[in-house]
Amino acid sequence: MIGKLFLTLATFALLHAAYSTYEHLSLLKALGKPEGSLPLDIVYESILALILGLLGASLNAPPLKDITWASEMKKRTIDGMDSRLGFAHYKSRGNFLFASPHNDGKI
Amino acid sequence: MSLQSALERLATYRANNTRASQDIFRSGLLVLQKSGFKKLGDDGWTSLEQLTLASIDVGRLDIADQCLQLIADKFPNSPRVDCLIGIRMEATEPPETALKYYADILEADSANAAIWKRRISVLRRTGKVEKAVNELVQFLDTFYTDVEGWLELADIYASCNQYDHSLQALSHVLLLTPQNPFYVLQAAETAYTSEDFALAIKMFLTVVDMTDTDDSEQLLQESTPLGITVRAWFGVKLCTRRLAQNANLKSLSNTSPPKNVELLDELATERLRVAYSSSGQKGEIAKGRQEVFAWVATPLA
Repeated sequence: MIGKLFLTLATFALLHAAYSTYEHLSLLKALGKPEGSLPLDIVYESILALILGLLGASLNAPPLKDITWASEMKKRTIDGMDSRLGFAHYKSRGNFLFASPHNDGKI
Repeated sequence: MSLQSALERLATYRANNTRASQDIFRSGLLVLQKSGFKKLGDDGWTSLEQLTLASIDVGRLDIADQCLQLIADKFPNSPRVDCLIGIRMEATEPPETALKYYADILEADSANAAIWKRRISVLRRTGKVEKAVNELVQFLDTFYTDVEGWLELADIYASCNQYDHSLQALSHVLLLTPQNPFYVLQAAETAYTSEDFALAIKMFLTVVDMTDTDDSEQLLQESTPLGITVRAWFGVKLCTRRLAQNANLKSLSNTSPPKNVELLDELATERLRVAYSSSGQKGEIAKGRQEVFAWVATPLA
């Protein structure tokens, strides 16, 4: 939640700084000295946007997953490891036990 | 159950290779009725194949035929579709028809692994175990890295009580997947059954080593064994019993027995007690705790 908030604030700040730069440059062009320096508060605003954006992206990241084999194996079961699906038998009691009793296609 | 959760369940079952046919059938039927398969692209076709196999398993051949028709229309000359048609044939026709169908395909293309596996499966199901084993050994000569094949060979040998051959097949599995503690556990239990207690106890302890790594900084006394670690500790306890009875047992694999059998026995006892002492939700006691405590308390030899 906070991460998304920071990210939104950072995006707005950056867009605002960009628009201010554009306005300032057009002002300088109108005044006839196109090499004037950028006012400091725009610079501070963009640096603030960078910091907020970094914080927001880090806080907004999904939860970390384990990378060790042991942690992956903890989630598996013996049935899953021993299933041998390529050799599975498809003619078994399951065909009769789970079929609907009147064969009318309803579950 | 929403469409999204049904699709997630199907994906989880596919990733974990489980054979929960009823659950897959229910989720998949929901997706099929809402025609959700078309939106997924490639994943949708694999899920549809999963639904086909699950409906054959559950006995609902009407849904299976429907799905199979959809898949066959989309992929006309695919070997994977041939395999599905063969499985559908196995479910209703006599096994000779299915075997002849597979033999025809294998004549045209003798390296079709999936069809060969189906053929071996039909041979095993109809009781021609020797022929199945011969074909499976030929298959594994061609496709060495097929873990499923080695596991199936180990299972066939174990079902015929030839546990040392089963252990040999499992050793190939261990070479191919060294990171998997489940196969080490299976090998340990097979070694125990073929009375090779020194090898069995080493393998059980390897399973404990593989599965008991606690990433969080807990002291050894505080960590409870869970899952297959408990099964491995039971195996260690059984082996120490047998080794204590007769210290000069001949080991088929020439493994030397461990030196401190009594200490291992004490450790296994303590670990099993810890495993069955932790209270579950609402403070319930673990099932069978009394029996386990009584069993581990009986003295060695």
